[in-house]
Amino acid sequence: MNPAAPTIVDPLVGARMFVIDQSRCIGCEACVQACEECGTHRGQSLIHLEFVERGATTQTAPMVCMHCDDPTCAEVCPADAIKQNEAGIVQSALKPRCIGCSNCVLACPFGVPKYFALPDQMMKCDMCYDRTSVGLAPMCASVCPSQALWFGTEDEFEETRSGQLMHEFRFGNQVVPTKVATVVADRTAGPVDVMTADDAPRWQDDPFGLGDG
Amino acid sequence: MPLDLRAVAIASLAVLVVLVGVYLGSGGLRWFDAALAGYLIGVLMAVFATVYRYLVWLQRPPTALMNKRGWESFRSSGRLGRNAIGFVGLVGTNLLTQGFIRRRSTARWAAHQLLFWGCILAAAVTFPLTFGWMHFESVGQDGSEYRAYLFGVGTGTFQAESVVGFVTFHLLNIAAFLVIAGVLVFLYRRLRDPGALAVEREGDFLALAGLFAVSVTGLFLTASSLWLDGAFYSFLNNLHALTVILGLMYIPFGKLFHIFQRPANLGVHFYRAEGELGAPQSCRRCGEPFASEMQMSDLKTVLPLVGFDYRTNSGGSDDPAEPAGNYQDTCPRCRRASVTLAQCARVGGFG
Repeated sequence: MNPAAPTIVDPLVGARMFVIDQSRCIGCEACVQACEECGTHRGQSLIHLEFVERGATTQTAPMVCMHCDDPTCAEVCPADAIKQNEAGIVQSALKPRCIGCSNCVLACPFGVPKYFALPDQMMKCDMCYDRTSVGLAPMCASVCPSQALWFGTEDEFEETRSGQLMHEFRFGNQVVPTKVATVVADRTAGPVDVMTADDAPRWQDDPFGLGDG
Repeated sequence: MPLDLRAVAIASLAVLVVLVGVYLGSGGLRWFDAALAGYLIGVLMAVFATVYRYLVWLQRPPTALMNKRGWESFRSSGRLGRNAIGFVGLVGTNLLTQGFIRRRSTARWAAHQLLFWGCILAAAVTFPLTFGWMHFESVGQDGSEYRAYLFGVGTGTFQAESVVGFVTFHLLNIAAFLVIAGVLVFLYRRLRDPGALAVEREGDFLALAGLFAVSVTGLFLTASSLWLDGAFYSFLNNLHALTVILGLMYIPFGKLFHIFQRPANLGVHFYRAEGELGAPQSCRRCGEPFASEMQMSDLKTVLPLVGFDYRTNSGGSDDPAEPAGNYQDTCPRCRRASVTLAQCARVGGFG
């Protein structure tokens, strides 16, 4: 998607969209608890939340399914078990079909699908489709105190938040457009380049620029 | 999608094999029941479509490679015998008793077992009858005693009014009750669970509706002959035949195709075991092993075939034509960390 392209408007969830701004995450784990309450996978938390490098940074890494336009997980599934519905939601593996091979777990560029050994199945975030399909926020976004996980319209975003919405990520040579947006300061700089970020200085470690003085 | 002529040829051959089997097994059609010809046509169409779809499915790059690797892992040198025993065990635990469903939900497992064994029982009766492989003849003239013949060979006799006779003549009714019970449990869940409804696909209800229709119309036949002096029997017979034929033809196109896909799970067990014996794949970022090198290598083979290029130049090469690494060599945990760090770098301050 080019930077000037309009925000994806989902006919089933109105103009509302799911936004993840990892930089806002405070690691409280409210989302992890709330995720277990999702009607489509009760009792299993499918959101990821980890420390990036506990000794080096306070940054935590929350991750939901980004619902790629062309999902890698679905393309590498030998059982053809991962389907995208008409709203663009990439659903959990179809239970009768999933053969538990973990191809999706290993191929997803965002590291999202989870393999559960006992039922021998993959499960993943389906953006709380029971809620978002009727205009409600996903469970995780409904409890996130820092609004790192956020659900609303583009107008609401512009009124209440800083930054711009970005729907594209780059992984090496591969650009991956997603339905879920993230936040960047300037989207004209192109997709979020995941491979070049590891060595970049982290503003959170010196948010007021005190290290320079 | 263009017609796959190779798959058409093999599917046609499968139909021919069934026809030859019918001819030979029914004593040159001597025991073939012409009243069941409609069912046979339904079976032949289902065989053709199922074989065709299976072969086309096997051609998808990830499916083809997993299929190849599954068999290779099964035949792995030195472990064929052990794998063969393991295969029998897996058929029991995964395909027949389906413990993986029980670990998700006991109610779901019970419902699926009812459907599964009901369908198995129905198929075990219907197919041999339709193919003329099995038939019954009365012993003597008074119709009180019957003998079952399998491929024209007589088996034991039984009294029509005995328990054995009752069960034998009602096997399809028993199957229908099993299936209906399973359908009702699944329907109860699907209609009451908002989560299940949200991710509902039309095929979920269609499959249940089809199984229900086949079972109920079958029971109608029994009801007509036992309690209604055969009223509406001809109509009900046609109705039942229609539901069965439509049901058979639905198998390759709908949710029930998982009957043929799901056994691939057995190959995955051997693939995983083979991978654990080989070298592990270490993460390019944290250095920790996170998968088998074999599976990651297979994924990196498949990804370009399905339109993805996760190669990277970050390893030092300046030539885009010679990428130095692959993002796929990153473990899932480090992928999540890298996405977060990349996003944070692009925010540049409090969001």
